[in-house]
Amino acid sequence: MTDTSPTASEQMLSAAREDLIDQEPPRRSLAARLSSKAVAPWIFITPMLLFGAVFFILPLLYAFFISLTRWNSLSAPKWVGFKHYEYLLTTDPVFWQTFWNTMYFAAASIGIGVPLAMVLAYAFTRSKGRTVWRSIYWLPMITNVVAVAYIWKFVLDDRYGLLNRALGFLGLGAPGWLTDPNLALTSVVLIFVWMQLGHNMLLFSAGLASIDESYYEAARLDGANERQCFFRITVPLLMPTTLFVLITNFISGLSYFTLMLVLTDGNGGPLRSTTVTALYMYKMAFEDLRMGRASAVAYLLFAVILVITLI
Amino acid sequence: MAIVKDRSNWSKLGTVLKYTLLTIGAFVMLAPFADMFLGALRTPAERISQPPVYFPRDPQWGNYLRVFTELPMLRWMGNSLFVTAMVTALQLLTSAMAGYALAKYNFRGRDILFRSVLGAQMFPFFLFIIPIFFILRYFPLFGGNDILGQGGSGFLNTYAAIILPFSITWYGIFLMRQFFMAVPNELMDAARLDGAGEFRIFFSIALPLVLPGLATLGIFVFVYQWNEVIWTMTVTRTAPDLQTIPVGIYLLRGAFIDQSTRSLQQAALGVSILPVIVTFLFLQRYYVRGLTAGAVKG
Repeated sequence: MTDTSPTASEQMLSAAREDLIDQEPPRRSLAARLSSKAVAPWIFITPMLLFGAVFFILPLLYAFFISLTRWNSLSAPKWVGFKHYEYLLTTDPVFWQTFWNTMYFAAASIGIGVPLAMVLAYAFTRSKGRTVWRSIYWLPMITNVVAVAYIWKFVLDDRYGLLNRALGFLGLGAPGWLTDPNLALTSVVLIFVWMQLGHNMLLFSAGLASIDESYYEAARLDGANERQCFFRITVPLLMPTTLFVLITNFISGLSYFTLMLVLTDGNGGPLRSTTVTALYMYKMAFEDLRMGRASAVAYLLFAVILVITLI
Repeated sequence: MAIVKDRSNWSKLGTVLKYTLLTIGAFVMLAPFADMFLGALRTPAERISQPPVYFPRDPQWGNYLRVFTELPMLRWMGNSLFVTAMVTALQLLTSAMAGYALAKYNFRGRDILFRSVLGAQMFPFFLFIIPIFFILRYFPLFGGNDILGQGGSGFLNTYAAIILPFSITWYGIFLMRQFFMAVPNELMDAARLDGAGEFRIFFSIALPLVLPGLATLGIFVFVYQWNEVIWTMTVTRTAPDLQTIPVGIYLLRGAFIDQSTRSLQQAALGVSILPVIVTFLFLQRYYVRGLTAGAVKG
């Protein structure tokens, strides 16, 4: 024991020394290699690749797999193939109802919102005190959707809402803004337009800023008035911006459902009148625990959006 | 901008029309907001009186204090701040790194990757809610899960579940790439000649030059994340300790049942939007740049 232990520790020491001598040069070159032009970009891009794999590609495949099964998330999934897709497209009346609600919502919100944003942006870029106007019009778009929903729930309440009490005071009727199935979705559209107005005005004013002022000066010299300037110069030259705003608003409108969810306590009522397809999916997944069918709804809605995007 | 020299009646009418429009619009924008802030100050009787009372005669300032004593507002606010700060920091770092690689290096597959980043932006968020929920739930080796992802609850009911899915956005990568494209290559080549490694070049030369870009992305992410509701609600429904302000107020809606507690609810909502408004007033010019950069692409 007493003979061997010094030798052993000596051996270990010298081995360690050799390790140091052996490893030091390659270690330095490893650091140098990592920060070389060939390797560094891959290190910079690694977080994106990891995220893309775990939170983009994997979920897309996983969701497709789930959509081919019957699964309540508590017991094991049961393979059903394309049954959910078949059921939704051919049998389920609710799916089509929500589909038309979605189309109405997206179409009505651009039909009302885009012209409004264009006219207001035009007025806004040619007036004084632009910072003040801008801050006012931007307020709703930086407000969280819960606050937006409750601001309007209080204003539009049937009996105690500010609006209906004011209408009643003037001796007018009191529409059920959010309780009448024929009116509720339109009310949601109007609230959504109110939310998005600042955003769209901003896009339009960026487009307006790129129109050369000399067009207007020339038109004025020829005696054109403000209205003629707007319809003959602004509207045609703003076409690319208008198309961009229309398309992006329509697509984001098709996938939107947060406002409806919060406004209606998550049930998309009254009588499903505000249930858009994405909300139908969310309820199906997290209330009814039908993960398979809900994933099929998500993929069908995505297919619709994809087709519209590609057109 | 336009100098209106023409003094014809039409042009005067146009000016009047312009300001009338803007004023009506501004009223429609502001009146509901004011109704929320003032509603928090109305007495229960004023809330239902006929004719309606808009400006309260005896403002109930105490309601804004009750928000902090009767609701877990401080807890919510801490969660909101923590989640928003983490997401913003993560996204600035990861987007800048990826954007830099895509803008400033020639490596195999770069163009395909960049096109994928553009294409990935087309995929709507609702498509990911269900699968990401279960990927986090069955994440191997976390939250009591075994290597196959069974047995525990994974990342659910942790801050990671709220933060991770927002740690990178395709839009952020795209935006940062655009900003890095404008940085001249000569600067980086000069540093290389002086023997600086690629990481030094990134952190001490390239990054400081895109500070406006970082500010743009930063305010964007901040506003988005502070206001995020759907995802946070989905993963914290059963974890009140992790809820952010808007999610907490929404999920507690059953508690606001009479006119007095509704004033409390309005006060809480008012508190929830104040931080964004204040941030925005100072940094709004950066926000414009983020939105319009997205528009140029289309």
